[in-house]
Amino acid sequence: MSLSGKSEQELSELLDEYGIKHGPVVESTRRLYEKKLKEAMAKGKPSSDKTYYREEEEEVTYVYRTPVRSEGAGDYEDRSFMSSRPGWTEREFEPEMSYSACIRSKPEYRERSFVEKPSTYNASIYESAHLRSTPKKSAQAAPKAPKSSRLIPLWVQFVFFLAVAIFLYLVFSNMETNESLKGIE
Amino acid sequence: SSGNMSTTSQKHRDFVGEPMGDKAVTALSGIGETLGKKLATDGFDKAYVVLGQFLLLRKDTEMFTEWLKDTTGANSRQAVSCAQCLKEWCDAFL
Repeated sequence: MSLSGKSEQELSELLDEYGIKHGPVVESTRRLYEKKLKEAMAKGKPSSDKTYYREEEEEVTYVYRTPVRSEGAGDYEDRSFMSSRPGWTEREFEPEMSYSACIRSKPEYRERSFVEKPSTYNASIYESAHLRSTPKKSAQAAPKAPKSSRLIPLWVQFVFFLAVAIFLYLVFSNMETNESLKGIE
Repeated sequence: SSGNMSTTSQKHRDFVGEPMGDKAVTALSGIGETLGKKLATDGFDKAYVVLGQFLLLRKDTEMFTEWLKDTTGANSRQAVSCAQCLKEWCDAFL
């Protein structure tokens, strides 16, 4: 690769690729930059480590992953709960987000460990996600990472929610105390 | 003055303490007569022109040091001294 044959623009781009901090490629700087590029190429690094996110680094945003689990009852509710919150678009749950810990901690926090400890993961996810209101009945569901389109249509979620609500009503109304019945009526 | 008392000379302190104006390139710390002549031959006949090169290199002292060594044959001590001198001048006046 003949560097001297390259345009200034090309050199500039190459310098960026190799992560070499540089100023304008002009006549008085060109020779130096060509030299730096030759050295970098000899080391054979196509891109500098610095430009990559390392997996060990903490990600600031929320880590949601696609759990490989059967659709447990609580999951749907979580999803509807989460999607009803303003500003929480599904984009934020993109699985492309690094699986490294967001939770202010351990870089070791990988996907596998999540599967083993759904509840603790869940709890800290909610903390760091700043979900102020309590997740209501769904305390133990692990968060689901929806793909770009909904896995479960929204109406299904609503219907299910309704079903649970009705179920709870029935349970409640069959309790022994009279006051509660009256209260409901 | 700076914390690098062991490496800054009077020349350094003189240069860094005021705007460089039209000072000759030999006013720069690390640049003596020989290097000064070499630089002038390449068109860098005033301190401010060398400053220009330093700025083009984004005030990166390592890059500048390397450039100076390559262009003039300066040794590490001289080149680092000049780079440091320019950096501090920039910190103060730029």
